[in-house]
Amino acid sequence: MSEELRVSSIETRGVPGKRRYAMVIDTRRCIGCMACQVACKAEYDTPLGVNRTWVPYKVTGKYPNVKKHFLPRLCNHCDDPPCVRNCPVEATFKVDDGGFVLQRYERCIGCRSCMAACPYNARFMLPSHRTYTPITNVVDKCTFCFHRVTQNLVPACVQTCVGRARVFGDLNDPNSEVSYLVAHNPTQVLRPEQGTKPHVFYIGADRNHTEYGRDVYRRIEVMESERAAWKKHFDL
Amino acid sequence: GGRDYSPVTMAQRQAIPYTCHVCNIQDGAIAFVENGRIVKLEGNPEHVSTRGRLCAKGNAGMWYTYNPDRVLYPLKRVGARGEGKWKRITWEEALTEVAQRLDAALKEDPNTIMLKWGRDRTGGALIRFMHTLGSDNTMNHTSVCESSKKVGMEPTWGPDIETPDFSKTKYVLNFGSNVLEAAYFHNPLSQRVTEGRIDNHMKIVTFDVRLSNTAGYSDEWIPVFPGTDGAVALAIGHVILRDDLQDSEFINTWTNVTVEELKEHYKSFTPEWAEKISGVPAATIERLAHEFATTKPATVFTYRGPAKHLYGSYNEKACMMLPILTGNVEKAGGYCLPRGMGWPQPNPKPPKPAKHAYANHHYHPLFPLASHGVSHLTPFDIFEGRTKVNVYFTYMDNPVYTNPGAQAVWGRLFKDEKLIPFFVSISTVIGEETAYADIILPDCMFLERWEPESMPNSLWPWLGIRQPIIAPLGETRETRVILRDIIHKLDPDGSRGMKQYWNFKDGEDYMRQHFDNIPGLKDVGGLDFLKKKGVWPIYGKLDPRTGKVVDKTGREIKAEYELYKKELSDSDMMGATIEPNGLIVKNGKAIGIRRNGKNYVGFPTPNRLLNVRVDEWAKYGFNPMPTFKRIPWHETMKDDELVLTTYKFNVHVQSRTASVKWLAEIVHNNPMWINPETAKKIGVKTGDLVRVESKVGYLVTKAYVTEGIHPKAVAIATGCGHWEYGRLATLKLNEKPQFGGTEDPDLKNVWWDDKGVHPNIIIPAIADPIGGSQAWYDTVVRVTKAGPNDKYGDVFGDFQKHLEAYREGLRFTYKGDLHRKMHPEMAHWPGPEQSQDQGHHS
Repeated sequence: MSEELRVSSIETRGVPGKRRYAMVIDTRRCIGCMACQVACKAEYDTPLGVNRTWVPYKVTGKYPNVKKHFLPRLCNHCDDPPCVRNCPVEATFKVDDGGFVLQRYERCIGCRSCMAACPYNARFMLPSHRTYTPITNVVDKCTFCFHRVTQNLVPACVQTCVGRARVFGDLNDPNSEVSYLVAHNPTQVLRPEQGTKPHVFYIGADRNHTEYGRDVYRRIEVMESERAAWKKHFDL
Repeated sequence: GGRDYSPVTMAQRQAIPYTCHVCNIQDGAIAFVENGRIVKLEGNPEHVSTRGRLCAKGNAGMWYTYNPDRVLYPLKRVGARGEGKWKRITWEEALTEVAQRLDAALKEDPNTIMLKWGRDRTGGALIRFMHTLGSDNTMNHTSVCESSKKVGMEPTWGPDIETPDFSKTKYVLNFGSNVLEAAYFHNPLSQRVTEGRIDNHMKIVTFDVRLSNTAGYSDEWIPVFPGTDGAVALAIGHVILRDDLQDSEFINTWTNVTVEELKEHYKSFTPEWAEKISGVPAATIERLAHEFATTKPATVFTYRGPAKHLYGSYNEKACMMLPILTGNVEKAGGYCLPRGMGWPQPNPKPPKPAKHAYANHHYHPLFPLASHGVSHLTPFDIFEGRTKVNVYFTYMDNPVYTNPGAQAVWGRLFKDEKLIPFFVSISTVIGEETAYADIILPDCMFLERWEPESMPNSLWPWLGIRQPIIAPLGETRETRVILRDIIHKLDPDGSRGMKQYWNFKDGEDYMRQHFDNIPGLKDVGGLDFLKKKGVWPIYGKLDPRTGKVVDKTGREIKAEYELYKKELSDSDMMGATIEPNGLIVKNGKAIGIRRNGKNYVGFPTPNRLLNVRVDEWAKYGFNPMPTFKRIPWHETMKDDELVLTTYKFNVHVQSRTASVKWLAEIVHNNPMWINPETAKKIGVKTGDLVRVESKVGYLVTKAYVTEGIHPKAVAIATGCGHWEYGRLATLKLNEKPQFGGTEDPDLKNVWWDDKGVHPNIIIPAIADPIGGSQAWYDTVVRVTKAGPNDKYGDVFGDFQKHLEAYREGLRFTYKGDLHRKMHPEMAHWPGPEQSQDQGHHS
């Protein structure tokens, strides 16, 4: 065969004939530099205390055989998103062409149903104070940089990713890099048992590290005082 | 890349290229402006090193500008020194007072005007200012940074840093560099490390006392006892030479020693010897030596790990020997020379002052080989009367926080109005040092000023600029304009001969004088090209599919290698003579070397060779050959003693980023790393308070018990625990911005309540007798569970004990009484009286 067959190892997603954006995160290339997290904060003027994307880590092994693993996180832009199903006012919705899961701020009543429904902790309530953006006190989340992608740019986190661990593109385009990566590498998704059909695919992520949400990725005792401070500040 | 849109209005954001200056890597970048505000920063996709990406710090750079605690107008101290009471004054008042004090100092001795900078990226303006005044009393900060690495390398091959070709290599031995988090050159080199490791299947082995992100990412992390990297490197060299795995042709052709000499010299550095010192098993050393020597191409990379010790220069040299022994120098995928570019200075230039200043960063009398200075010892030179100061200028520096002894030494110095009669700080914020100033001249942040740039952060040389993205905030002025205004105040009519050197309209005009006449750049438009593109040359386009720069045909651009093998042209050889040893001399200057019948440029050293034997070192009784010296006080450590090391986080620079909210949110505290085995012995678990006591002071901090650290070491990061530097760094957020800054409503969301503890006050000032570097990672401490009276954040440093420790350290200098004892192999050295008092760099 003269050409490699690039058939996705996963089931077909999205709407046939339309774009289906996805992110591939090659954890073998992630150096935990946090550039993505900060670039995202800048792109959206995201307030302190909440994040659209974040990079938890885990230290494993016994001295001297120790490793550090990073697991960049963001909204999975699920094909079957529980947040959309659970929103009582249709503030959150899925875009047919592209598969973005987005939020209509003007409809959001801040009931937090979507936050409770999301198995990935990917949604958050915007606090009252922001630097220059007037949208506050509604639920927000990663948009896969809808405003950039529709201008033919990759998301801000992908643009700045120092190790090129984050790759973005159309899974329904057989020539896209994401299609290539998904076809040529074993991939993992977070919490597959939830049936959400996530569209963030990981390469090289250990199943034992990917099945949980945000908190388990750091040693509990290190995070304890941090978590307490965060909860105290936001009065939770 | 290269474009950005508002997520709210979808309007395109205005894009202006610049060069980043959050740390010192100098990434090419693009700033996006919305409604006159810098809202987003991104890597410049046309920049050959940065390739469209920025690190976390770079992405947060606009918060240097919008820091609500910035000083936006000149300030004059009204209370006691360091009391924190300020009065707003006009520029006219500030400049008049500074000029008056300078005038008085000039009458006594221009060298009583001292300028110390932390980071000088003005492209020569600071030196021009001091030379205009006739003062030689300038100091950099390099001795607290990596100077012993530089001094370890320079005499051997010329430049002070290497460029490992990570993306093309197959094997990396990384000695104590945390390149994936900090150091030179974090973003550009990290990109190439991941490329090498994943696309090119290289192996990387990291030696470090601590599991840094780099060590955690490496195929192997080899913990070493602090300061013993050099012994391991020598033992690897021993195995290579013993088993005849070296590149004999390269050594015999391109170095000033022979393979036979090296085999003889390396005989005693056995893996068993190194195991005893470093704790790295001899079998591991044997295996790594074979892997390294038989995998081609391979490279070594080092940074502060080996260098920041007493005798750090020996460590660096020992590591540098490995690519030399295996002939990996200047190969694709090997250990390459840095590639940089220069620019001319505006004319006329002030002459160099005739009289040397004692503490100048090029030649301290006790450290003649420390070509990057020993500025961390300067306070002691002032305390003990060897340096007199009338006016002290500080620029982008903060030794009260960043230097050994910190507030106990530098704080004491600056508080003393007899020793520092007048203190001018050119600064953007009130940090720990500027808090002691008499006058604060408000500087621009990097996004508001002009500066010329070049940095060897990839294998392609480039020139770049910083340009104002927005107009300077408040009444701030850019550095070169401040310096010009001072000179013009001193010499309004030019009669003192000073004004002629400060003949420019504004920053842009000065930049034109740098850039408008550079061959090649001139043809495409000079400064105007740089204003539009940010960088020159543009080597190609970024291929979004691979992240690599490609040429017109879509192929990855290639670097030039084997620079030392560039042949001299006939016109180069015109009038040149060839000496018997092959040295090609023209007009009294060595321009190349003849090897195998060809005339090569050779290495940028005086003899155009790699100097494995450094004869200048022998002049001062140091071993000219690769060697290792154990730190004497490590040999006598008791069972309950540990070595304290410090490190940088990936989201912080040394002292300037604690007030950057997005970075502070990620890291704001720095618990002490301790191995579980060690923690068990003293009965502490994660979160417990510990008391860390050195011979000069103590501190109380929290413990973080982790498998990722050597059992005989503890590690406390820098970058946290500020007591000045604004409300966010100190978590005093109930106060209001004081000096003209605009409040950021987002600071109401600051949720963390722990700012960490800064360790420098308990670290004594000890300098490497060769390279002059601060021995950051040599401090012996005793760690115990905190007592009932210990509070989190307690710090104490005893000035007298710091002074004693400093004097003890001087005993290792070439004039000190321990120098001979440490160098029995140099018994034939006639002694310091026979050595010249001035270093080779003077």
